[in-house]
Amino acid sequence: MLSRVAESLFWMARYLERAEDVARIIAVNFQASLDAPSASQELTWEPMITITGDRDLFTAAFARYDAESVTSFLTLHPGNPNAIASCISRARENARAVREQISREMWEQLNRLYHSIVNADLATIARNPYDFFSEVRNGSHLFQGITDATMAHTEGWEFIQTGKFLERADQTARILDVKYNALVSNMGGETAPLASLQWIALLKSCSAFEPYRRAHSQLQAWRVVDFLLFDRTFPRSVAFCLDQTRDALRRISDSPLDRPANTAERLLGRLCAELTYLDIREALADLHMFLDDMQHKLNHVGDAIAQSYFDVNTMPAGVAAISRYVQAQQQQQ
Amino acid sequence: MGSLFNDYTLDGFFDEMFAAPGKPHPHYERLYRRLSELSRADFDDRIQLADISFLYQGITFTVYSAQEGIERIFPFDLVPRIIPQAEWQMLDRGLRQRVTALNMFLHDVYHEQRILHDGVIPLDLVLSSQGFSPLMMGVDPPGDVYIHISGTDLVRDEQGHYLVLEDNGRSPSGVSYVLENRTAMKRAFPRLFERSGVLPVEHYPQALLETLRNVAPRRADQPTVVLLTPGVYNSAYFEHSFLARQMGIELVEGRDLVTSENRVFMRTIRGLQPVDVIYRRIDDNFLDPLSFRSDSMLGCPGLFNAYRAGNVTLANAIGTGVADDKAIYPFVPAMIRYYLSEEPILNNVPTYRADNPVDRAYILEHLNQLVVKSVNESGGYGMLVGPHSTAEECTAFAEKIRANPRNFIAQPTLALSRHPAFVDGHFEGRHIDFRPYILQGRDITIIPGGLTRVALRKGSLVVNSSQGGGSKDTWVLEE
Repeated sequence: MLSRVAESLFWMARYLERAEDVARIIAVNFQASLDAPSASQELTWEPMITITGDRDLFTAAFARYDAESVTSFLTLHPGNPNAIASCISRARENARAVREQISREMWEQLNRLYHSIVNADLATIARNPYDFFSEVRNGSHLFQGITDATMAHTEGWEFIQTGKFLERADQTARILDVKYNALVSNMGGETAPLASLQWIALLKSCSAFEPYRRAHSQLQAWRVVDFLLFDRTFPRSVAFCLDQTRDALRRISDSPLDRPANTAERLLGRLCAELTYLDIREALADLHMFLDDMQHKLNHVGDAIAQSYFDVNTMPAGVAAISRYVQAQQQQQ
Repeated sequence: MGSLFNDYTLDGFFDEMFAAPGKPHPHYERLYRRLSELSRADFDDRIQLADISFLYQGITFTVYSAQEGIERIFPFDLVPRIIPQAEWQMLDRGLRQRVTALNMFLHDVYHEQRILHDGVIPLDLVLSSQGFSPLMMGVDPPGDVYIHISGTDLVRDEQGHYLVLEDNGRSPSGVSYVLENRTAMKRAFPRLFERSGVLPVEHYPQALLETLRNVAPRRADQPTVVLLTPGVYNSAYFEHSFLARQMGIELVEGRDLVTSENRVFMRTIRGLQPVDVIYRRIDDNFLDPLSFRSDSMLGCPGLFNAYRAGNVTLANAIGTGVADDKAIYPFVPAMIRYYLSEEPILNNVPTYRADNPVDRAYILEHLNQLVVKSVNESGGYGMLVGPHSTAEECTAFAEKIRANPRNFIAQPTLALSRHPAFVDGHFEGRHIDFRPYILQGRDITIIPGGLTRVALRKGSLVVNSSQGGGSKDTWVLEE
């Protein structure tokens, strides 16, 4: 498989997952803001911008952290590369560049989603935000289902899995980071009783509320964090996503569990082991630092994947191998 | 008979389907009977079926506006064009003869230049051709094949004689429509195909892959063939991607390729992999910034040296544009006589070359009767259709001709044959042409069929998709 193709498939999946996660974050915030007193509008909406990490871009275009500005910035704002419309558009551009590699059904679905999102307008979104965000979420899910059902599960599909799960792990960590800090500081301590709707909202933003409820009868901060970080049965927990990423990479390199083939696999293996053997109290001692560190490591994994598969100058069978190949050919002749 | 053929008129043109109103040629009888049974509503239903199948398969060409690419469907006309077997055999022989002579001409031009020294074709005409590539002098392409893939444009005159309009030896596009039109047609009219004896065209991608494989530069057991595309923004990208998928080969862009020690490699997730044959859909000038246009971002630096060293096959070869030059086209019948000592089976359209003073005077005096074409343009661009132009347009064009006579040829306005097309709820005659595709590797292969293009605008003679043209399925009959 061409490196360019693998890279496009990887980013197609990442951008679509990002669009879905941004939609999740805003949707759940709308719900939560209905319950919040109007004085804390700022408190409700400002973290959205922190999660996506584009504070400078936001303040350059908007004066206040209110529902309207933040929604505009995160959905359709052309100057925001991580806005839902930008992400879907970039997912589509990546798909278009490798159209012969994906199934017709995948292309059709991504195209449909793209056209419905870019044709949306802010007034409609504001009138009925829930419809818009569930369209993005459902559109992404439909694409994932179609991908699994119509594309051969070969290398290309594995790169899609890699991109999707790496992004999802990153986004879950981001949501947890921002929301946790906001909630804990707001409630005066992490051990305070947590009947708060905000915790429910956090779980819901990851589609985790009902699975959490089935697993735990009590709503407790540390349990919520534990669930979203470590639960290996829940498909949006960080540990689940990283296991999936690691397995997809191993299927690509065809390497056994105890013999990682490249840096990306080594980094991921270590991260997965850390998540397996970590005590939740260690993470909670400074959750922000823990999650920040996690995000840095995920960035390294992304870089390492690029070095192993996308950039021929850094690959073992790359440019340096040409001379050996040509010599071998000449000796045969 | 309340059929969609009511009011169908021939208007003095050669009609592919009818000998006289209501009297179809024998090979069209079956189709005519079937179509006569259909109501407008029936036909609209079939169109729906075909159009939907086109959209779903992504058969679109792209029109780019300021920011957003708009994908359009290439209009498809549901009335198929039929070619009887005997006629096809004549075309098949004529096309083989022509492409063989063109290939010999290219070898000659880039080696001994006998045909120029013998005065059959003017030397300066060839050397001044934009398609002539001096770097190709003395280069031996694998198998001595230059034109691996060509798509000859044929038209029929008032008497129904086939004439060659252009040879298109520079990777012509459109073959994907041949295949997709057939698919759409089968969906819309499944019953029509039963017992009609229509020869299949679906094996084209396999034949193309075989052709490309058997011109690989070295005796590799499994030569690696790739399709080189300018990229996703090229208007023919759909076709590039379609053919790559059908052949199961990699669709590469210039940035996917790298050369070292005169070998070509592609960048894959397993490292660099050697490439043996490149079916390139990029013009000569953009192939290699080191040898041709240095500002090209589409090609691969070092590709030409690898090619000249015989380590990679390019299909088509570099420099085939000289055989595609419309000012050299008038000499193709002479080439056939010179190289093959045969009489041409397919004739040319009479052509005036503006660089010849006698011809030029004639052209300038008869602009309003002629079709004038730039020698290196295609796609219906850069041309003047005299009878359909204003006096101002003719005057402006005359200036261009005087300024650069080498760049223009003129041909009489042909009364192109017509074929029924579904327009405004019934059938009307529309002008058509025909582009069969010829593959030349170790052998010559021509799939029985091709692209019939139709000028859907009433009275129009221009069939190009960019100029309001559409296409039809083309049936070559077994018997």
